[in-house]
Amino acid sequence: MLHQLLFMLSSMLTRRIAQSISHYSVNNLFAKSLLSPREHYTTTNVPISNFQKSLLAVSSAFTAFFDPSRGDMIATLAETTSSIFLNKLRDEMLRDSKGRQILRERPIINSKTIDIPNLRTLPEGTFGKEYANFLDGEMVTPDTREKVKYIEDEELAYVMQRYRECHDFFHTLTKLPVSVEGELALKWFEFAQTKLPMTLISSVVGPLRLSSKERTRLFEKYVPWAIQCGSQSKLLMNVYFEECWNKDIAEMRKELGIYLVE
Amino acid sequence: MIDKNLYDIAIIGGGITGSALACALVNSQKTKSRRIALIEFNNMSNIREWKPPHLQFSNRVSSLTPRSIQFFKDIGVWENINHERIRPYKDIQVWDGISNARIRFNSDDSISINKNIEAIAWIIENNNIQHAILTKLAQYKDSNIDFLENTTVKRIMFDDVNYENEQFDLSDWPSLELSNGKVLKTRLLIGADGINSVVRSFASIESLGWDYNARAVVATLQVEPQVENATAWQRFLPTGPIAMLPLNNRFSSMVWSTTPTLASKICTLPSNNFIHLVNAAFRLRIADLEYLYSQLENCDIEFVKEFEWRQSIEKKAGIGNEIFPPLVLDVQEKSRAEFPLKMRNAESYVKERIALIGDAAHTIHPLAGQGLNQGLADVQSLVKVIEHGVVTGQDLGNIQLLKNYSSDRYLSNLMMLGAVDKLHKLFGNDFAPIVFMRSLGLQVINHLEPVKSEIIKYAMGIE
Repeated sequence: MLHQLLFMLSSMLTRRIAQSISHYSVNNLFAKSLLSPREHYTTTNVPISNFQKSLLAVSSAFTAFFDPSRGDMIATLAETTSSIFLNKLRDEMLRDSKGRQILRERPIINSKTIDIPNLRTLPEGTFGKEYANFLDGEMVTPDTREKVKYIEDEELAYVMQRYRECHDFFHTLTKLPVSVEGELALKWFEFAQTKLPMTLISSVVGPLRLSSKERTRLFEKYVPWAIQCGSQSKLLMNVYFEECWNKDIAEMRKELGIYLVE
Repeated sequence: MIDKNLYDIAIIGGGITGSALACALVNSQKTKSRRIALIEFNNMSNIREWKPPHLQFSNRVSSLTPRSIQFFKDIGVWENINHERIRPYKDIQVWDGISNARIRFNSDDSISINKNIEAIAWIIENNNIQHAILTKLAQYKDSNIDFLENTTVKRIMFDDVNYENEQFDLSDWPSLELSNGKVLKTRLLIGADGINSVVRSFASIESLGWDYNARAVVATLQVEPQVENATAWQRFLPTGPIAMLPLNNRFSSMVWSTTPTLASKICTLPSNNFIHLVNAAFRLRIADLEYLYSQLENCDIEFVKEFEWRQSIEKKAGIGNEIFPPLVLDVQEKSRAEFPLKMRNAESYVKERIALIGDAAHTIHPLAGQGLNQGLADVQSLVKVIEHGVVTGQDLGNIQLLKNYSSDRYLSNLMMLGAVDKLHKLFGNDFAPIVFMRSLGLQVINHLEPVKSEIIKYAMGIE
């Protein structure tokens, strides 16, 4: 009874919010599926405000909780929470002059923009060489990153792309291996850097896949390191890695406040 | 025989509220026979001969509510106003700098507002008001009023000196020792002498309240020409609100309350960077602003480039489609100034033979443009009380009479002070749940016409 009532309330709320913002934000799946077709939509790609997004996040979470078959609600939840995450990350970049330079120039990392064979020729100990070593050692290329879809805002889509593209640089700097354990440690590190809980979602679910020995090691060794190191180091999204190939990596770690896990 | 140094009413402070009170008293049929002294420390001749410079505006402006305007009409001041230099506005847009949640007040939309009301309020230079009052006062030269300019009150005291031929005991009348050597005695002493009122300290009335850790920066801005520049804009930033008020189609006035450190830097910023900082403060993200704050002393950064880049990104993302105040093109030279922000309310407005009005009684944060309107409401109330005293033959200094003024104004001022103070505190917070709740509140109220009407009527002084 109470569930039904709450469900009705939350879907009504979602609907009302969607209606109230429909005149300037319609180009999204969920609004189309909810609103009556009689209403006139502008088709320009206009995002809703952060505040409206958080309202949507809350109400869609409610609806999805009481009726998991509402796939549209789950999509809305994912879309709105990730946009809150990206907005926060972008704000951190906007506060920093390097971050602003990156947003202005929008550099892209792939095998076409980065001369990897040339990086291999750099002296040992430089950031460029270490990065090339990492790629060769893990047998990956910068092109294996998933393309960003479903984010309409150009700049936020870029922030997401940059976030993914920088992932291998994070590995290079922290020397964390590409294993479930290493990835989870890196997630904790990112959480400590950004203070954004969204980065933690996989860190909560992920450990289920570890053996109990690995799990102990994760929580006793990696997580304390990640929290300590991540919260005192400079936000890595504000590092223009492409300018650092020739830098001594130990020097670079020092400048950024990163130390290695023992 | 009447001693020429005896007055019924002495008003200390010839600012807008003090001189408006004098004007209202000599204008009233009931009180015009009383002897009144208006004592002002400054020389007012500059304002008396005020010749407004073409295409320049003073940075000290006020927002006058319909109620205040009606009062000025009633006492014959309004006809002396330079009407080319006032700007009515019918529209107010207020929004949250973090969430962008907005509320819009429009006097045309409001169902329960009398359609005869031309505007929500009028933006007017303080000099324009003061000039109009002085012009009116000049017509009463031969009346019972003495306007003592350039005169400081050196001391206020009670004395036992008996005047010649004195038939009455006047020892409980306050004596004013003036800088010109004269000593006045008055039946009723009115403090219109601002936040550091000497009358209030003489009466040992405590002033309660606090200083905000904030200063207001004012400036006269030249803006992108508007067909009709008739909206008051206010964006609440985490450091305090920034407001833009229309002066005419090409000029607006700015009040920006912010931290003391930022205020002094903003005041001395090169003007090309300043105008784009103001544009950014109305249009860009808080993160952009925080970056610009960190670069205020960096002469190499061109704020215009930062502003235009971010503006183009926001336009693409569609945020630029919201309605914003006109772009600032220039700032009038030497129009930037800053002052501290305070909240004060005297513990009492009256004592035996003493009354306080305007800033001497209360000081408010300027975010709702209510300070002067409250002062003028004090004046109206006190005039009524004095008229009543005259008609019923009471001693004008009698505390029982003056208490009517206090009980009429105290609670009402306190409520306005409290409401504005709470608003300031609510919006000065960037804690996410509070931002969320206040934004929800703004959006809900924005859709509730009756509530909006009540708020706007309260702000307009319509009871």
